[in-house]
Amino acid sequence: MINLYQFIPEIFILSLILITLCFGLFNKDRAISLNTLGLILLSILLFNYGKDFYSSTQLSLNTINLFVLSKIILSIGSIVFILLLKRPLKNENLYRYEYVLFILFAILGSFVLISSNNFLTAFIGLELQSLSLYLMAAFNTKNLSSNEAGIKYFSLGALSSGFLLFGISMIYYDTGSFNIQNLDNFTAISEIGLSLVLISLFFKVSAAPFHIWTPDVYEGSPTISTLFFATLPKFASLIFLFRVYQELYIYDIKSLNYIFQMVCAISLLVGVYGAITQKVIKRLLAFSSINHIGFMLLGIMSYQFMSEGTLFFYLIIYLITTFGIFAVLLNLRTVDGEFTKISQLNGLRFTSNSKSISMLVFFFSLAGIPPFAGFFAKFFILSASINDGFIFLSIIAVLSSVIAAFYYLTIIKNMFFNKLEIELLDDNNKTGKVIFIASGLIITLFFIYPDPLINLVDNLFK
Amino acid sequence: MSFPILSLLILTPIIGALTLSLSSSTQLKNKTIFLSGLWITTGEFLLSLLLPIFYDKSKNGYQFIEFHTWFDKFDINYYVGVDGVSIPLILLTTFLVPICLLCSINSIQNRAKEFVIYFLLLESFIIGVFVSIDLVIFYVFFEAVLIPMFLIIGIWGGENRLYATFKFFLYTLAGSVLMLLAIIYIISKVKSGNIELISDFTFDQQIELVLFLCFFASFAVKVPMFPFHTWLPDAHVQAPTSGSVILAGVLLKLGAYGFIRLSLPFFEYASIYFQPMIFALSCVAIVYTSIVALRQLDMKKMIAYSSVAHMGFVTIGIFTLTQDGINGAYFQMISHGIVSAALFLIVGVVYERHHTRMISDYSGVTNVMPKYSFFFMVFMLSSVGLPGTSGFVGEFLVIMSTISVSVYLTFFTAIGVILGASYMLLLYKNINFGDLKSDIKQLADLTNIEIFYFSCLAFLTMILGIYPKLLFEMINKSISLSIL
Repeated sequence: MINLYQFIPEIFILSLILITLCFGLFNKDRAISLNTLGLILLSILLFNYGKDFYSSTQLSLNTINLFVLSKIILSIGSIVFILLLKRPLKNENLYRYEYVLFILFAILGSFVLISSNNFLTAFIGLELQSLSLYLMAAFNTKNLSSNEAGIKYFSLGALSSGFLLFGISMIYYDTGSFNIQNLDNFTAISEIGLSLVLISLFFKVSAAPFHIWTPDVYEGSPTISTLFFATLPKFASLIFLFRVYQELYIYDIKSLNYIFQMVCAISLLVGVYGAITQKVIKRLLAFSSINHIGFMLLGIMSYQFMSEGTLFFYLIIYLITTFGIFAVLLNLRTVDGEFTKISQLNGLRFTSNSKSISMLVFFFSLAGIPPFAGFFAKFFILSASINDGFIFLSIIAVLSSVIAAFYYLTIIKNMFFNKLEIELLDDNNKTGKVIFIASGLIITLFFIYPDPLINLVDNLFK
Repeated sequence: MSFPILSLLILTPIIGALTLSLSSSTQLKNKTIFLSGLWITTGEFLLSLLLPIFYDKSKNGYQFIEFHTWFDKFDINYYVGVDGVSIPLILLTTFLVPICLLCSINSIQNRAKEFVIYFLLLESFIIGVFVSIDLVIFYVFFEAVLIPMFLIIGIWGGENRLYATFKFFLYTLAGSVLMLLAIIYIISKVKSGNIELISDFTFDQQIELVLFLCFFASFAVKVPMFPFHTWLPDAHVQAPTSGSVILAGVLLKLGAYGFIRLSLPFFEYASIYFQPMIFALSCVAIVYTSIVALRQLDMKKMIAYSSVAHMGFVTIGIFTLTQDGINGAYFQMISHGIVSAALFLIVGVVYERHHTRMISDYSGVTNVMPKYSFFFMVFMLSSVGLPGTSGFVGEFLVIMSTISVSVYLTFFTAIGVILGASYMLLLYKNINFGDLKSDIKQLADLTNIEIFYFSCLAFLTMILGIYPKLLFEMINKSISLSIL
């Protein structure tokens, strides 16, 4: 008899999806509020009883904590996202309640992916997540570039899924098991299979050199979908990547460890070099996310020293910052539609205090300048990696963050130093405003009062 | 738990900045904003005067210590305290910031509120650097200083300000990140960021050399030393007067302070090992930049290059690793902080009236602005190092201490003094004497406010020149402890 207790979060979301589907037939507007309520309930459940769900399993305490924390983060993130999406979708005439279903399916996929102990389950989770993402990319069906983004994302994503399946089958051929845990008796075939699995996961988190889709998809999709790609699914895939790294002791497998290090270094460098010349803000953010993925991979590799806390801390800060930046971007519009170019930010300082100052905070934080939280995130990752002996990678990381500072400063320059040219329309989206001001405050005040965030990460790992 | 004076010093400007930013900008006049900024910074100055009064010179170690755990898990603490080395620099900072605000009341017309806010933040960050005795918090403040300075140069700077401010920011950041890696490594070895504990720790010699170079990269850019100095002339020329004043007066001292506070006590072996390199770089800095300064057409650029030369004395003095040398270097730091700040103000005065910084556009200024010429002379002579002014004491001690190291070194530093005298006198002559140009005639002499702050600065240079013991009493003991 399978113990269904551990599937409560997934079952919860599945029933939420079904309820929304039925409810949506009669009242589409209410369906969204219902979702929000349901997800709030889910995060409360996870927060209070999360560990009990898994108590009957044989997983280690660390893994259980990992599941619970990442699921809490995912559900809170999706609450914020659902609250944010109404206005931008209405602006583009895209407001349909099905969009929310995609999000729920993607979250369900992420949940399955995170807590899977089996490569096939992981594949199902990953596919469920990705299929919703392809649809979200192409959601603006009247826009050519949105269609292009969707098709690009789909075809390349399908290719990477092929890699994943092929890799899994090679591992199965070699070891006769789909299990992620307790996979031993390695031969070269399993190593090749694992490297194919890793390639597919690197594609999902858009680590270089598997990043080519990122800028195009980011640019073409509706901005609200871009926000989703940049945050929650990436977070889930990264957690799974971390689990693969941890459970399979890739640290000890020389060839795979080498691949990891190479991908980390290339991501750090490609991210910054790609971003320097970008003129479209979403492309710049795409490349900057590749650079940050480099940091996260560094965090994954050096988890042994300071536990997973450093990685999680970096992820949380990165999620908060990204939500903040996109909340600002979604709140700005040009006369023609969504605002795209960096040069359109010129003189934002003169039109909006709150937006320009929060953007200043976010970009300095991404650049890793103290006293903002982004600095501490990088600091902890670097502490862990230097202690684990990745000195060369750490040097690459800090030098890349100096180059990264250049293009973050360029954005700040546009906002603060340049003269106002075309006044951007203020969307006056109250939720968006609350979100970016709140994330700006978290990023800034962390310096003065770090305990809540640190404890959140810390307690779950003891 | 004693009175938390250091935290108060850090927090006062921040709170001031917060209250200012929350007030509605449309209703306040520029003058009101500047006045409120002045009140805050003057209060801060008076508060900082408590430090030398209550500082116990007979005791060793840090005083006014405050300790709070900051990150439990990583053993990073909010740990602040001051000793004789930091107090004069704190006083210099709190003294210069009100002057910066005073001198820009007329020149900064647009976005005055932001200007005052950035200056207040800058002040609290700089004070943070000087009071922190934990490496991480030191680094946090050291880097945070960049943000307001970046904005000050970028918003209120001259025509080429973007280039200058980007160069300033990226140069400094590139140096600092290497220091960050070194700091992380040290903390992982020593298991603590406490400066005193790290001083007692001895590293492997090879590693110590690398760590020293990492710290050197950061501080050498900040000082700036010879091959890393090119951001300074750009930043100075493009910065508004007040920006130049705080840059020359205090920010350059952060590097030298870092050498004294961190490099020397942490890396004793490496400090001796790299002595020749630093002497060579400093000699080049002194002679080369002095010659470059001789040929400058722009007043601000000339003074910027002279700053590099003067900071060359400081680095030489520090790395003689003798009590006299470091005393002299320290004295030179304070004196240069006052004098170069004053010289940038002097340039600012005529720039505000005539809107050009070219030396050739001025001639015979003394005919219309006699008070101005008088103050210019005082600071010029102090910069040259005339006995009786503060410039003399520092240079004299440094040169004296170099004899114990090498006579060649003495030779080059002495050449620097002569070259320094020649370009400063040339500058003074070209601007103040000669025929009165027709467009100079309508320039008005110093206003009362200007006379007020120039006399404050002049008084300080004189008093330090005549009675240097005032400063030496404060720093002697602390410095003798930080030497090998």
